[in-house]
Amino acid sequence: MEPPVVTLTECSKRFGDRLALRKATLTVAAGETIVLLGPNGAGKSTLLRLVAGLLRPTAGSARIAGVDATSAPRALRAGIAYAGHRSQLYRGLTARENLELHARLQGQRDLDISALLNHVGLGDRADEYIDGFSRGMLQRLTLARATAHQPALLLLDEPASGLDADGRLLLDATLRAGLGTRTQLVASHDDELPARLGARAVYLSSGSIA
Amino acid sequence: MRSLGRLSTTIPLLLSTILIPLTVALAFWWTPDDIDQGLSQKIFYFHVPIALTSYAAFGFGAFSAAMYLWKRTEVWDLRSYVGVHSGTIWGTLVLLTGPIWAKASWGVWWNWGDRQLNVFLILFLYYCAYFMLRFSLDEGERRRSASAVFALLGIGLIPLSFLAVRIAQTLIHPTVFTTGGAAMPNSFLLTFVVGFAGMLSLMVLLISTEMRGKRTAARVLQLQRVARGEDA
Amino acid sequence: MIAAALTIARVKLVLELRRREVIFAMLLFIAATIVIVHFALSGDTGAGNRAAAGMLWAAVVFTAVLGLLRTFAAEQEEGALDALLLAPIDRAAIWIGAALAQFGFLVVVELVAVPVWWLLFFQAEGPSIGTVVVALVLADIGIALVGTLAAALALGARTRDVLLPVLVLPLVIPIVLAGVTATYGAFGEEVGGLRPLAFLALYDLVFVALAWGTSEHLLGD
Repeated sequence: MEPPVVTLTECSKRFGDRLALRKATLTVAAGETIVLLGPNGAGKSTLLRLVAGLLRPTAGSARIAGVDATSAPRALRAGIAYAGHRSQLYRGLTARENLELHARLQGQRDLDISALLNHVGLGDRADEYIDGFSRGMLQRLTLARATAHQPALLLLDEPASGLDADGRLLLDATLRAGLGTRTQLVASHDDELPARLGARAVYLSSGSIA
Repeated sequence: MRSLGRLSTTIPLLLSTILIPLTVALAFWWTPDDIDQGLSQKIFYFHVPIALTSYAAFGFGAFSAAMYLWKRTEVWDLRSYVGVHSGTIWGTLVLLTGPIWAKASWGVWWNWGDRQLNVFLILFLYYCAYFMLRFSLDEGERRRSASAVFALLGIGLIPLSFLAVRIAQTLIHPTVFTTGGAAMPNSFLLTFVVGFAGMLSLMVLLISTEMRGKRTAARVLQLQRVARGEDA
Repeated sequence: MIAAALTIARVKLVLELRRREVIFAMLLFIAATIVIVHFALSGDTGAGNRAAAGMLWAAVVFTAVLGLLRTFAAEQEEGALDALLLAPIDRAAIWIGAALAQFGFLVVVELVAVPVWWLLFFQAEGPSIGTVVVALVLADIGIALVGTLAAALALGARTRDVLLPVLVLPLVIPIVLAGVTATYGAFGEEVGGLRPLAFLALYDLVFVALAWGTSEHLLGD
């Protein structure tokens, strides 16, 4: 799938009385990488979930390749990967089983799971139940899950949290590998990430894009 | 269904002010007394129309729910809520008038053989659950979607409840007494129809009025937000 | 769609097999419920075939609700539901897969409970067991369907645990009515032939159709 254009047009999201995102307008070009920066509670997570189509905008729109994110057809969803604050895994399954499940749901028959697990440094823990994993290990596994199906759109919400130095190098390498080949939106607290990747930085504050 | 302004409340108001007293008049002075049940049978002209109107309200609630899931505009969610709300209130009336009729006619407070009453018992429980569901979710998209789905499921429950009660009737709740069927003498039928029309008008009036109130409240809320500079 | 639903159902069954949290609780619960209802109806009311039929169905329904409380627990622990919603599968598959798993749990529980019920109440003439089994299977499908859907609706609520029984119980009243009637028929009473069983099948069809049509809309906020 071709890396899609992501467009937010006057997109707002309200939760009860709280306006989490306020008339956000943003265009991410195909294959572009954007780093979302801003303090906690600025609306970065909300923005990413709107783009993923997991939230419905209160006003405005969030579109992927011109299609409304909440009604993205299956073919489009196949090319999207979203990793939020939680790992989206099953605690009662092993690392391998989690990735197998993911592959099956994504319709991928021939995923080399062992290789993938080795790549993220979890090769020797492949057949352990993930409820024994540390935060950093879960993050690595989440990264593996997100990139396993070669997504055309990668959405990551603070992927570096909990990662050790090696993990952060892995993350950087993963993002760098995607430059130009897929559209990437990464929410981060790392102010130097845009410079390291040569990516555009977008600042969010109190729900508004600065 | 764009706002018809005064019309959507004036016409039903006129109709119900005419038809309901007319029903009372017809019921008590025109239709002959029922041979078996005497005066207490008169409540039938109110009790059954109230029940039917209740179904109509639930139907409107379900229709609006489907429209909400399709169009995703808040007004349809409001209509669905008001429909279910009104239907539940009237359903409560059915459950209150039922025992009164049963006691007056047959000497028991609750007639397990009365199919209508049993169905309403089930529906009452179900639609009370609707409110529990709606108000345990925070205001927003999820609340509206969940309420809509639940209102739609209710529409399936209504005929199925009827069928189930009927199938179980003779065994679980021995038929002690039955209510009048559609084979009524003309005077009964006419009064019944007038009663039904009256109740329906009253229901439309109540729904329109409640909708007006809710839409005004929503508009005020929106204006407050704009005034605060939030504008969304 | 079927493939995705089966995949999800299999995951949930595997998880339960490993942890065995829910099944044992349901087994104990159904036994306790039958005993409690029996004691509560002691005396003339509590004797006889009709009472036994009633006890079985009341116990099945309440036990099913207990199982339903945990139906999306695994998906909520780490937010796996997000992954399921985003996957390129029919959204209905999520709900159907979960319902299939619930159906499986109910069947397993009944495989133990029905023989025990039989042993406790029928020393001599028992009901025609085929009818009872068919009724239970059809009823389990219906309970699993509406129950899972109700669980999905209640997901965002703070009061999820008390809300779910309130949502499910009115919905399953028709199932109990028809199931008990069918069981009376299994004892030889005149119930209009296969009508109660036909009703249970109809119930399943109606709610599959309704729920399928609406499950697309069970999104996040």
